[in-house]
Amino acid sequence: MTNTLALLTCLLVTAAVLYYVFALPGELYLGPKKTRLAYLRERKDVVYENLRDLNFEFKAGKFSDSDYQEMKAALENEAAAILAEIARLEETAIAGPASSERKGTRA
Amino acid sequence: MAIIGSYALLLALALSAYSFLAGLYALTDNGRTARWLGESARRAGIAVFATVLLAAVVMVLAAFNDDFSIAYIFHHSNRDLPGPYKFATLWSGQEGSLLFWSLLLAAYGFVLRLRHKTDVRLFAYASVIIAAVQVFFLLLVTFPAHPFAVMQGALPADGNGLNPLLQYAEMVIHPPMLYLGYVGFTVPFAFALAALIMRYPGEKWIHITRHWTMVTWGLLTCGIALGAHWAYSVLGWGGYWGWDPVENASLLPWLTGTAFLHSVMMQEKRGMLKIWNMWLIFGTFLLSILGTFLTRSGVVSSVHAFAQSSIGDWFVVFLALISAVCLYFFWRNKSHLQSEHKLESMVSRESSFLFNNLLFLVACFAVLWGTLFPILSEWVQGHKITVGPPFFNRVMVPICLLLLFLTAVGPLLSWGKTSLDSLKRNFLWPTVASLVLGAVLVITPPSWGSPFGMRPWLDVSYFYSLMAVLLSALVAFTIISEFVRGGRVIRGKTGQSLLYSMAVLAHRNTRRYGGYIVHFGVIVMVIGFAGYAFNQDKEMEMGFGDQMTLGPYTLVCQSYTQEDKPNYGSEWAIINVMKGGRQIDTLFPERRFYKSSEQLATRPVIHSTLQGDLYLVYEGINQDTGRPIIKAHLNPLVPWIWMGIWIIIAGTIFALIPNTTPLRATAPARSKAEVVPAGVAD
Repeated sequence: MTNTLALLTCLLVTAAVLYYVFALPGELYLGPKKTRLAYLRERKDVVYENLRDLNFEFKAGKFSDSDYQEMKAALENEAAAILAEIARLEETAIAGPASSERKGTRA
Repeated sequence: MAIIGSYALLLALALSAYSFLAGLYALTDNGRTARWLGESARRAGIAVFATVLLAAVVMVLAAFNDDFSIAYIFHHSNRDLPGPYKFATLWSGQEGSLLFWSLLLAAYGFVLRLRHKTDVRLFAYASVIIAAVQVFFLLLVTFPAHPFAVMQGALPADGNGLNPLLQYAEMVIHPPMLYLGYVGFTVPFAFALAALIMRYPGEKWIHITRHWTMVTWGLLTCGIALGAHWAYSVLGWGGYWGWDPVENASLLPWLTGTAFLHSVMMQEKRGMLKIWNMWLIFGTFLLSILGTFLTRSGVVSSVHAFAQSSIGDWFVVFLALISAVCLYFFWRNKSHLQSEHKLESMVSRESSFLFNNLLFLVACFAVLWGTLFPILSEWVQGHKITVGPPFFNRVMVPICLLLLFLTAVGPLLSWGKTSLDSLKRNFLWPTVASLVLGAVLVITPPSWGSPFGMRPWLDVSYFYSLMAVLLSALVAFTIISEFVRGGRVIRGKTGQSLLYSMAVLAHRNTRRYGGYIVHFGVIVMVIGFAGYAFNQDKEMEMGFGDQMTLGPYTLVCQSYTQEDKPNYGSEWAIINVMKGGRQIDTLFPERRFYKSSEQLATRPVIHSTLQGDLYLVYEGINQDTGRPIIKAHLNPLVPWIWMGIWIIIAGTIFALIPNTTPLRATAPARSKAEVVPAGVAD
């Protein structure tokens, strides 16, 4: 391979790379921002999965009834706390913009 | 060729540096320019893959074209080298393997950046961290370890050739596997550090990196196993693991990575051990870099190590920088890593994971200490004190036995705490069954072959072997119990057969049951290791018709001869293997002399059965008599190790398959939630 051909290849590669890196589309995808609410929904799914596993393992005969009831109660309390916070945050999210609108109108 | 390769690497370095700097700026600002810079940084990261790939392709083409104007090709290839080994030239030397490292990292970065829509901001942080690591490796291949350096003076007619020890089929895939494992840990590291820096809410980063981590761990396991199999099949000393510093270097990140795979479940399920997991993955990445440093700097002597070079200093600086960055962000954001639950009981799944992690870390520390001790002793006392296999075996065997015990116990414990009643339900029959098996192994006569006829009171190694088999049986019985119990529940609902129900069960939670398959592979391997205590060997000069007896085998030398091939010349013997007066195999142990590198290499041969291996080595010719010297090893249960590896790979692949049943909410949690007043969680 001659040096000229090699240099030409290098130039072509550089041009292609620069075009790809800097010729961007008009619209950029930014995606949603992770909020506390999104985190709580993930956590809720995990606790539900834990509950499902616990039920299954109890049916499989791995735990005594008292162990099962105790673990189930703990997980249900955790789920309840998460659901309550989700409900509160959703309420705030709905009420928030409306109340600020009212304030805005008043101003 | 060299011009294109060198230019591609320079361009890749410039793109990586841009990806890092522009990406970093984009993360500190929310304006339109920052968004534009962020996207171009992501694209620059993608383009890095294309340019490093171009450099690698140039290198492979140069090897196939015997382009000895490139010094690397001259040193690691020759005209008569078979095609697959010419391809393997890419990673057979210091400079090429670092280029290969860069290529794999760029490939991982490429995939990650294409999937950025999963979580744009988290991926942007991870992308910047990967770009920083990429800059380091591209700096190495651009300056101190440049693979496209050209030969000075007249062009040589032929190259020095590939190291004869590397001219073996497995060597074409062992380094890529190992590197894929080493490099792959950069991805979970980048996500963990990204989550810490941006105080990412929740554990979704673990969910995102779960597959990366499992694939990486699986590849590293494959790489280590292939290395062990290569050592067994090529080096000719009859063993598969010699606690060599470079072997140890690959084991270190594997140990912490395995610990991470277990403890990360506690974070996902219970929101616990967040600090621990963060440092485990930091440690795993740092150990991967340390392993690369040990292999390449020349600080340790090993059959696997590359030549002594100056790049060790670069690695020390990089290790120090990465550690400082991790420490700084941990100190700044440690409040973000508070646990959501506390350890309630010492008899729980959480505690079993915790003990498992502690044991993995103790094992890691022991291996690290034994590996670095010669270097430390030289610094302190002025002379090297070598730490050999006896130290490692003495420390690691009890740790492995304890880990086996936890492997049996862990899955049967419940989250939170486990009562005595539940313990009895779960452990009674597996324990009784293992004890019965142990009694059978002790009372049977040794003539039945391994693992029967064990006499643990005769030697501590026999005791360890018995314990290994007993605990392996306990693990096997607990795994069977998990499958059968779960299968019965499904059978009760569907009315299908138990076997079908167990398959449905496994597909409903592939990660868990894939994990059990991996555990099963581990115990099959451990049974293979247990055979080590019963190894035998014998060496003898064998002329025509001479016989040697070892264990149940009689070896008869039928002939011995020499042969000349383009790449090497060889001496070999024809040995008939007899058992019970009947010929069962013919083996051809061989020794080669590689012409271009002027090096000798043995080619051991193995007669393998489920009970063990008969392993023959051609040691050389007695110059006085002209007859070959043959060394025979009888290695009980070794094939179980390779079977175990296949099972581990199968289990890892199974764990990567998505679950068949989607998550669904359970009614009790919903109904209870309705009666809880808002604000209770504040």
